[in-house]
Amino acid sequence: MVRFKHRYLLCEVVSDDPRCRLSLEDRALGGLIRDTIARVHGTFGAASCSIGFAVRYLNAYTGIVLLRCRKEFYQLVCSALPFITYLENKGHRYPCFLNTLHVGGTIRTCQKFLIRYNRRQLLILLQNCTDEGEREAIQKSVTKSCLLEERSDEEELSDSGGEEAAEAME
Amino acid sequence: MWSALDKMPAPATTYERIVYRNPSEHHYMKVCLEFEDHGVGLNVAQFKQLLISALKDLFGEVAAALPLDVLTYEEKTLSAILRICSSGLVKLWSSLTLLGSYKGKKCAFRVIQVSPFLLALSGNSRELVLD
Repeated sequence: MVRFKHRYLLCEVVSDDPRCRLSLEDRALGGLIRDTIARVHGTFGAASCSIGFAVRYLNAYTGIVLLRCRKEFYQLVCSALPFITYLENKGHRYPCFLNTLHVGGTIRTCQKFLIRYNRRQLLILLQNCTDEGEREAIQKSVTKSCLLEERSDEEELSDSGGEEAAEAME
Repeated sequence: MWSALDKMPAPATTYERIVYRNPSEHHYMKVCLEFEDHGVGLNVAQFKQLLISALKDLFGEVAAALPLDVLTYEEKTLSAILRICSSGLVKLWSSLTLLGSYKGKKCAFRVIQVSPFLLALSGNSRELVLD
């Protein structure tokens, strides 16, 4: 009851340029977000948001970023994200934008959301893919993820008990 | 004693309470700019630029875009009446408080009166001279 509460923002870096995601770095991105908050919300915003601010997780292949901020000021951070229009790396500027996927209170809820989101994205990729080799690779990963899902559901069922198991099955 | 209280008659007058919740959109501030050295003049455009830059320093682009109006300005006394939307009053007042200098010269904003009604700024009981 007397702990610092945080909000975890799950964002996706969307860009036309494929090199943009590969140049993602947690420190550079953190510095860019802090500068943007200082520009949009001034000294007050910069000071209030940077205390509990951290880039918790970064995936350069999928462009997923998990940011942490204090609960009282997460709206300042959320409202400053649309003002990020480019990523800079070694003198190259890549135009991009940050798409907020989910706001959660803990890392675990964001992780659960991310797993469900990635599964949906795999199915969408399967529909849109053109190459036969790619299609087989994606089908393999889809079946693998389904097996993992069944296994994790069974583990949850054995932990939680009878009634919850019936609800989960439905 | 209890029986006497029970038998008290009901009050003759009925009270009617009217609550006027004023969702006044704007707040009006009478402010005065004081410089440490005298002899510094600003025209109205420079004055507004100073206000906007004070807001921008402390609260960023979002606050600098608040609809702020300078209704009257006197260049001799450097006093003005400002109008700001009610949600931005706290931001404006705190950024006026923390403004320290203009073009390297030390200055301070004195807030004389704040009111949600413009008419209230016409009379100030603090400036009454009692003979």
